[in-house]
Amino acid sequence: MKAAATLLAVATAALLPVAFPGQPYMLQLATLTLCGIVPAIGLNLLFGYTGLVSLGHMGFAGVGGYAAALLMKQAGWPFLPALGSGALLAGAVGLLVGIPCLRLRSHFFIIVTLAVGLILSTLFTNLDWLTGGAEGLPGIPRPRPLAIGGVRIVLATPIGFYWVALAVTLGALLLQWAVVRSPFGSALAAIRQDETMAAARGVDVFAHKLAVFALSAGIAGAGGALQASFLRVAAPASFDLAASINLVAVVIIGGPGYLAGPVLGSIVFVALPEALRAAAQARLFVFGAVLVLLALFAPRGLLGLGTRLLRRHAAS
Amino acid sequence: MRYAYLAVATALLAPAPGFSQAPKPVVLGIVTAQTGPLAAAGRFQMNGFAMALDALNRDGGIEIAGQRRPVALKVYDTHCSPAEGASAMERLASVDRAAMVLGELCSPAVAAETPVAQDNSVPFVITVPTAENLTLSGNPWVFRVNADNNQLNQALGRYVVEKGLAPLAFIAWNNDAGRGGVRSMEALLGASAKVAYTGYFNVGEVDFSAHVSNIRRAGARSVMLFMDEEPGALAIRQLRDAGLGVQLIGTLAMGSARFLARLDAKYLAGMMQYNAFPPSAPQPRIRAFDDQYRARFKEESHGFAAQSYDALMLAADALHRAGTTTDGEAVRKALAATSYDGVIGHIAFDAHGQAAPPVYVTQWCDDGTRKIIFPAELASACGGG
Amino acid sequence: MAFPAMAFPAMAVIAQAVNGIMMGAVYALFAVGMVLVFGVMRVLNFAHGAVFMAGGYLCWFAMAHVSPIYPVALLFSTAGGAAIGLVLERLVFRRLRENLSMQIVASLGLILMAQNGVLLLFGADALQIEAPSLRRVLRLGELGFTVQHLVILAAVAVAVASLHVFLSRSRLGIAMRAASQDIQAARVVGIAPDRVFAITFALSGALAALGGALLGPLFLVFPGMGDLPLLKGLTAIVLGGMGSVWGAVLGGLAIGLLEAEATLFAPTDYRDLVVFAALIATLLLRPRGLFGTAIRGEP
Repeated sequence: MKAAATLLAVATAALLPVAFPGQPYMLQLATLTLCGIVPAIGLNLLFGYTGLVSLGHMGFAGVGGYAAALLMKQAGWPFLPALGSGALLAGAVGLLVGIPCLRLRSHFFIIVTLAVGLILSTLFTNLDWLTGGAEGLPGIPRPRPLAIGGVRIVLATPIGFYWVALAVTLGALLLQWAVVRSPFGSALAAIRQDETMAAARGVDVFAHKLAVFALSAGIAGAGGALQASFLRVAAPASFDLAASINLVAVVIIGGPGYLAGPVLGSIVFVALPEALRAAAQARLFVFGAVLVLLALFAPRGLLGLGTRLLRRHAAS
Repeated sequence: MRYAYLAVATALLAPAPGFSQAPKPVVLGIVTAQTGPLAAAGRFQMNGFAMALDALNRDGGIEIAGQRRPVALKVYDTHCSPAEGASAMERLASVDRAAMVLGELCSPAVAAETPVAQDNSVPFVITVPTAENLTLSGNPWVFRVNADNNQLNQALGRYVVEKGLAPLAFIAWNNDAGRGGVRSMEALLGASAKVAYTGYFNVGEVDFSAHVSNIRRAGARSVMLFMDEEPGALAIRQLRDAGLGVQLIGTLAMGSARFLARLDAKYLAGMMQYNAFPPSAPQPRIRAFDDQYRARFKEESHGFAAQSYDALMLAADALHRAGTTTDGEAVRKALAATSYDGVIGHIAFDAHGQAAPPVYVTQWCDDGTRKIIFPAELASACGGG
Repeated sequence: MAFPAMAFPAMAVIAQAVNGIMMGAVYALFAVGMVLVFGVMRVLNFAHGAVFMAGGYLCWFAMAHVSPIYPVALLFSTAGGAAIGLVLERLVFRRLRENLSMQIVASLGLILMAQNGVLLLFGADALQIEAPSLRRVLRLGELGFTVQHLVILAAVAVAVASLHVFLSRSRLGIAMRAASQDIQAARVVGIAPDRVFAITFALSGALAALGGALLGPLFLVFPGMGDLPLLKGLTAIVLGGMGSVWGAVLGGLAIGLLEAEATLFAPTDYRDLVVFAALIATLLLRPRGLFGTAIRGEP
């Protein structure tokens, strides 16, 4: 039943641009949403499933984004190897950061992740020779056409790139699902509930935290690479503190610890500000007010709210 | 958005020609910053667009293929975000069917917007960002009305060398405008002038004491400020209050009455700045624009406004010559063939879509007025810069 | 990045120490307000910077429309900050006490509302508080600083000292300190926890707004003026151990000094990087900050 529903959702998402042709703006927003879902999945594994907040996660996305951008632009690599290398590098940086920082507890850890994010975004701005500095790194290519047998699929067009983004997003969702269902995922859940208890049950708490931190940074890096190729520019503004805080809000509002949380959160964060363009200059004020209301009335995120309402409905 | 309503209202009030249906407005797109750290600069840009919009609609709009059609602007805030810039550009091109898109303030946002403009065959006219590479990406849909970093710095750089103002120190915003300005100036000066110190500060940072100490230590003779008027006023106050008698060199935002109001004449005397638009210059076109601007916005005109005004006017001119608003390629070709005498000077685009409007160096006099000191043939007395 | 290699710059070090202590005092004031709320309610109010910014605007408004006397404007801003604190606590943070995630989301929403709200109300141009007497420059040999530098130091000293007396002597203050150990302990002194929370937030808001009103005349008043103090204030409370008022004060001063002196020895665009790297290094050596002890509810 659940599998059928998922399959239906995936098929719908894939066929959306074919069913509603001539909507390039909606396609643009849909692709942007996908680019936001991927790093949110990374953070959801860390925060939603393990209970560790990172306020600097878009910094890791930036590592992946810039790395993939440079590999494609300067070294002429194809998209997928560049994206994979960007994700690996982001994961490696996550590993290096995690080794010292994960020893810290609760709020100390949160502020250190903030500091790490700020350090990374400072480097994106300051290392002009590598990153193009504050002006950003423009002219990042879209994926090359894919040739399967005699068929040639163009991936650089809006629809083509939408499918690329959808494939990457589905890959990340699948990975999230696999991790959560695995024994590794159960250990993470145990850590989230009670670290001391998990340790007593024989879970190597530090190793698990480190692994999920690196994995989460790696997924964020893949998201950054996807976004840079989509926007065709890597810029500090895409990976700064504000972007990191937005990412945390995406995960929280969607519903941390739900498989589909990042999807819903990213839709809210891309669609709502665009829909609010009608409010002109008051747009971001209204968006802020919506966030405050969500914080007050959906304490477990939208999916948490939905589940609660469903349960109440079922009970009555 | 407010301006869009304004345009629609103007269109409704215009007398309907005969019994025929009212002509469909020509929609032009604007990308700008209405929120975030560059909201103040965005306001100057919007003021210029609003003036041009009224000037066009007062005459019934643009004559396209024999029919006068009113102009309507669609304005979207991108607040320097590449993602929002790309979305706004897509929306303007495919939903609002804008015949052309103008504006923007930040280089990274432009870099995300230009490929979308190309995908949709919509010409994009940049009116403020100065990074040189924006018109060098080989994208034929991109045009820039304003001077780029190299054009702006050239005259001033020569001046620094000639007058022996080195060693030079920089204080610059740690953003695209500041870092780009420093990079371009350093490249232009090469070995001909020594750079003693380069200091960067984040947008929103207000304490320049560190730079003051470092500049004193480095023994710089002149200090070049790559930033907007707000931090510029703070930086100059802090430099002078600390007793540093260096030659001050600034950007176009600092040759303005608003800048003077933030400081006072004694802080500014002798300071020079590059300027793409000296608001008190005696040239009739600048006087006429400045008078009109003052009457409407109750303050001195601003270069960003003049550049944006010219961009919208020459966009109308290109649409008129193209005779179409829907054939992007025809509009692009007409735009590329532009030869337009604007407020900022003569505007024609080179093969990259870059214009080369005049650039001035102005200097503050002791009495709080300004004079033009470069180019020599346009040099003016105090009060004319 | 050209950088002069020179003898030890003694004068510059002293000048930067003065500036560093002044900015550090502002960070300290900011951090104290945050740490009070964190200590008593376990709430991390990231919107504290927005209250700081509101203090700057309140001060500008008071100087322009209420009274041109600066101390009156300071009181006006401080009282306004307390009112904002009360409203925030009652409407938002009281309901989010146990929910760190939603504290982050609500703070983000409040920051967007505040920054874009003042943009709509006051326009995009940075405002300048006209107070020429505060801008007067005092000279001490090669050193030059303004009267406002001294006003800031004095005001922060008075604010922190009064806070100390309040926390150690008054019944309410003792209740607050008791609450930071154990929320039910406040009842022992006969004060309902809800009242303690309200007072804490009012106090915190007052301190933030005072900070904005102090920095405003020296620099400018604009929507993003609370962003950098927020980052530095967070760093300060973490350095100070996330639990003690004095830790936050010393943390703030340490950051002010460090960032001011760092600019003499490292490129200025790496200044914040130096501060945050120092924070990480400190925490690696002392995982609970410089003055931290174990936090309630933690192993």
